[in-house]
Amino acid sequence: MEELLAALESSVRAFPLMKRGAESEVRLGTFLGLPAIFKYRLPKPYMHPKLALSLARQRSVREARVMLKAREVGVPAPRLYALFPSMSLIVMEYIEGETLKEVAEKDAERAIELGRRAGTIVARLHEAGIAHGDPTTSNFIFSRGELRVIDFGLAEFTSDVEDFAVDVHLFRRAVESAHARIAHSMFSSFLEGYAEVRGAEWVAERAEEIRLRGRYVEERRTVWGRG
Amino acid sequence: MIVLGIESTAHTFGVALLDDQLKVLADVRKQYVPKSGGILPREVAPFFSQVAGAAVREALGAAGVRMGEVEAIAVALGPGMGPQLRVGASVARALAAYYGKPLVPVNHAVAHIEVARWLTGLKDPIVLYVAGGNTAVISYAEGRYRVFGETLDLPLGNALDTFAREVGIAPPYVREGKHAVDICAEGGEFVEGLPYVVKGQDSSFSGLLTAALKALRGGAALRDICFTFREIAYSSVVEVLERGLALTGKREVVLTGGVAASALLNEKLSLMASLHGAQFRPIPRSYAGDNGVMIALTGMAAFKWGQRVEPRRATIRQRWRVDQVPVPWYYGFP
Repeated sequence: MEELLAALESSVRAFPLMKRGAESEVRLGTFLGLPAIFKYRLPKPYMHPKLALSLARQRSVREARVMLKAREVGVPAPRLYALFPSMSLIVMEYIEGETLKEVAEKDAERAIELGRRAGTIVARLHEAGIAHGDPTTSNFIFSRGELRVIDFGLAEFTSDVEDFAVDVHLFRRAVESAHARIAHSMFSSFLEGYAEVRGAEWVAERAEEIRLRGRYVEERRTVWGRG
Repeated sequence: MIVLGIESTAHTFGVALLDDQLKVLADVRKQYVPKSGGILPREVAPFFSQVAGAAVREALGAAGVRMGEVEAIAVALGPGMGPQLRVGASVARALAAYYGKPLVPVNHAVAHIEVARWLTGLKDPIVLYVAGGNTAVISYAEGRYRVFGETLDLPLGNALDTFAREVGIAPPYVREGKHAVDICAEGGEFVEGLPYVVKGQDSSFSGLLTAALKALRGGAALRDICFTFREIAYSSVVEVLERGLALTGKREVVLTGGVAASALLNEKLSLMASLHGAQFRPIPRSYAGDNGVMIALTGMAAFKWGQRVEPRRATIRQRWRVDQVPVPWYYGFP
């Protein structure tokens, strides 16, 4: 088995590096003849090796399981091809297209429209008991007329309203920090899309609570009353 | 043009004088160091009241400047602890009203960022601001500083201090520039089982604190828990910053705030930045913590760009967020 893994490792290393993200190294290659993404979760060099390795493994396994579940409930996540926990390696479908972030930078109208679709996707995940954990605009890809969702590296199985609201909060935070000009329209459209699948009011309310929980929000209420 | 800056948000009463060549004419700091326990506002505020007058006189004396030569008074009106803020605000309002000087409101967090941009020379960075009262990843977009990620509960510095206090290794929290937890971690080893929490772009330390204290009660070695606590806490904020770097596309990383003095945190950030081809520079140690210079500096920018406040309206704002402040000078100053 070890020889097999070593052989796999060296063949994957030969594939061209597509992207080095905050989380992982992504290579584009082929798997059983299919174009495929090879996602290595790298031990972070700035962490203690033990912490880095255990985080990498945990996150790879969790990511694979969540992707399977997401596909099962009809969320347009990448198809899972294979998982190698000891190498923190996931092999998955290659999705070609532009990130929602790239769309937002050049086509505000389309980005606002796609925000709605992002809302639907996130709501579907929530219906299936999955919190994405990092639904920023870099993690949606517009591909062949369809919005897809990627990077389940921080996703979790959960039924906690709090985790769902964190997703909504994170989407808003992402559009506010990277696309300030169209943030409001994009987020409204996201909530509309969310509401098509499941009640959005309570989750938006809770997301607002999470925002207010961030330190130093002036309208924060305490047990002593306002602020 | 000379600006006088007053800082009084937490443990340090700072008075500084800065001229428009950005020469520091005076930098007086009166720090409250508790004999036991933490930073209690009811103890710090009276201390500030006692030292305030002397601090202002000392600053003017050191600079050889008369009040008549000061063009504006800048004061940190928040965020921070109310009783301490009120002392600084009262002194600033009194000086402004008595000498007829314009009063400039300064946000303490913005000031930490401005002094870091000035001293590191990195003009458009993503900022890790870690202190006793704040933990946030911040970058500038469209006229303001935006919060990319922040702590959902305890600030990192507060978590470290509370841990140190609970296990009996502080106060003093800092000895010869090293935090008590850093000293205690020497020779320690990483132990499994303490929670590492990063929720998307935010961090959280309250679970880590509880688990660490519980592990100690269960018989774990103190130096191992210190080592692991610190390792997890620092790693998680560096990871949040790493995500911010990826999302905002900034090429520069700056570290500021009281915890910026940590050698280990600097090492981690420097590694992370080089991995992404970004430039990392920490603020010089002597300006990592609270000081009046950063208030005078930011006050000078705000004053030049027309921001000021009537003394009667200069009330403190304990929860004044960094993203509520227009920063029109961003590309033009310092």
